Amino acid sequence: MYVRAVPPTDLNRNTEWFTYPGVWTTYILILFFSWLIVLSLFGSSPGTAWTIVHLSHFFVTYHFFHWKKGTPFGDDQGIYNGLTWWEQIDNGKQLTRNRKFLTVVPVVLYLIASHTTDYQNPMLFFNTLAVFVLVVAKFPNMHKVRIFGINADH
Amino acid sequence: MITIPYLTALTTYFSYGLLFAFGQFRDFFRKIFDWWHASNLQGYAPICLGLEDFYFRRLYHRIQDCFGRPISSAPDAWFDVVERYSNDNNKTMKRTDKINRCLNLGSYNYLGFAASDEYCTPRVIDSLNRFSASTCSTRVDGGTTTVHKELEECVANFVGKPAAIVFGMGYVTNSAILPVLMGKGGLIISDSLNHNSIVNGARGSGATIRVFQHNTPSHLEKVLREQIAEGQPRTHRPWKKIIVVVEGIYSMEGELCKLPEIVAICKKYKAYVYLDEAHSIGAVGKTGRGVCELLGVDTADVDIMMGTFTKSFGSCGGYIAGSKELIQYLKYTCPAHLYTTSISPPAARQIISAIKVILGEDGSSRGAQKLARIRENSNFFRSELQKMGFEVLGDNDSPVMPIMLYNPAKIPAFSRECLKQNIAVVTVAFPATPLLLARARICISAAHTKEDLLKALEVISEVGDMVGIKYFPAEPKKLEQGKDTIKLE
Repeated sequence: MYVRAVPPTDLNRNTEWFTYPGVWTTYILILFFSWLIVLSLFGSSPGTAWTIVHLSHFFVTYHFFHWKKGTPFGDDQGIYNGLTWWEQIDNGKQLTRNRKFLTVVPVVLYLIASHTTDYQNPMLFFNTLAVFVLVVAKFPNMHKVRIFGINADH
Repeated sequence: MITIPYLTALTTYFSYGLLFAFGQFRDFFRKIFDWWHASNLQGYAPICLGLEDFYFRRLYHRIQDCFGRPISSAPDAWFDVVERYSNDNNKTMKRTDKINRCLNLGSYNYLGFAASDEYCTPRVIDSLNRFSASTCSTRVDGGTTTVHKELEECVANFVGKPAAIVFGMGYVTNSAILPVLMGKGGLIISDSLNHNSIVNGARGSGATIRVFQHNTPSHLEKVLREQIAEGQPRTHRPWKKIIVVVEGIYSMEGELCKLPEIVAICKKYKAYVYLDEAHSIGAVGKTGRGVCELLGVDTADVDIMMGTFTKSFGSCGGYIAGSKELIQYLKYTCPAHLYTTSISPPAARQIISAIKVILGEDGSSRGAQKLARIRENSNFFRSELQKMGFEVLGDNDSPVMPIMLYNPAKIPAFSRECLKQNIAVVTVAFPATPLLLARARICISAAHTKEDLLKALEVISEVGDMVGIKYFPAEPKKLEQGKDTIKLE
């Protein structure tokens, strides 16, 4: 089956790939397949596997969405060098469909991870901390905010 | 409008994710190794941030042998490609002395002027003897020769405008003119797939930039209405000037611009139209005068027409054509006219001779033949490729046809396999195109004969089967079917 790709009006090549069809499905499929891989590699219970997926998802998405700034190529002469990827998508417009989707995914992962581990400590503590940090980082009020100057420009 | 098979989109994202992850791992380990080695920077700051050239180091360098191949002859229909090899996994490439004679499907040689021509070349050599290779001066100092004056009149007549001004380089024409025409308080509305020179010129001008969806006049109208109603950012004062920048043929899509609708909308809202005809001047239209002739738009409606001489005229340089007052103004404000060396006289003579051949003023009908041949070649090639099941973009009559590849691994596969069979193609990927939509761009020339095109089709079909890029079902060959099947009445 075919889908139509309409070129978006975003000039920032670092983020405009996220507006094409198929991204959300790929994201969800990658999470599901990594759960299967963790389950087969470690032979743990499904709940522990979901916790591992949730926490590694936290580390990876925090690092690439909210820590790394700028773009991985030099063509745009560094005009986005002070902005993280999260602040760059959709040209900085808040509460778009992409942003809402990306906010919901860690919450859903958290619910699955906590449900399959029966809300036991210590997994519950780490999962809750991870989802709290991720969701707060994605609030519209946190746009370009650097708490205590962490990760600010020089 | 590009139609992607859904599974291909998913696999393309996954492949790029995998390549990205591998690149990040290698960078991580490289950082650990470099910790132990002393740095030789001695207190100076590094020239580029580590993550700024991530794409270049970890993705582009892996397939570097597919880009930037050196050639050692004129870029005619057949040319010599120098072989290269690499000892360190494509990080550095070394040239050998061996050459391959390949079919050229990548050069912008639309009318075949890129190689020696029986009318143009003697005149170019004559002007080289008379004026020498460079004027060694800017236009205002001592760089305006009779050739330059003749060239500007010739271009203005050809394009259909009262006056024209010529510069030495096409990219510079866009990036130096837009800052002169627009300043702070102006609004530039540009198509989302405009060339990098326009984007850089617009950014350098200081005007506000808004982008409208590629070739969608209704979205252009929506953006115009919104911006005129809101006015300048923060002060909400009315805009000083509004200019809409579009291209004649988009070089990565091969599509023609919807010029009549866009000009109608700009007239309604009193915005200026800037048309960049880099790929369409000389290549489309009944007498080669570009998209305005092809689509039936009066040249008086397009305020500023820009073009380059690199594609159809076999030379180098760019021009701007407009009203006499505009060109007069540009002559004393544009830095590309005041401070850069003027266009080289032999190159200017080549353009004048090429225009004379196209218009038939050299006494033969070669110009009309070339124009007819490029139209036939493009239409034939495109329809054959589409029949084979490839996804080819672009409108009819356009000599640029990108074949969609999508997956990142198919880019080097297609390029290398074609080179093995002596066909040289140009493949383009991120960031020149969107991430998903990597493509191989074929440029048809009037110098290609029917045999060249048939050979190219055969090779591309074979390589396409090997690489797996026939995304659409191929049309069955109708003649064979009629012979083999028995009709059951």
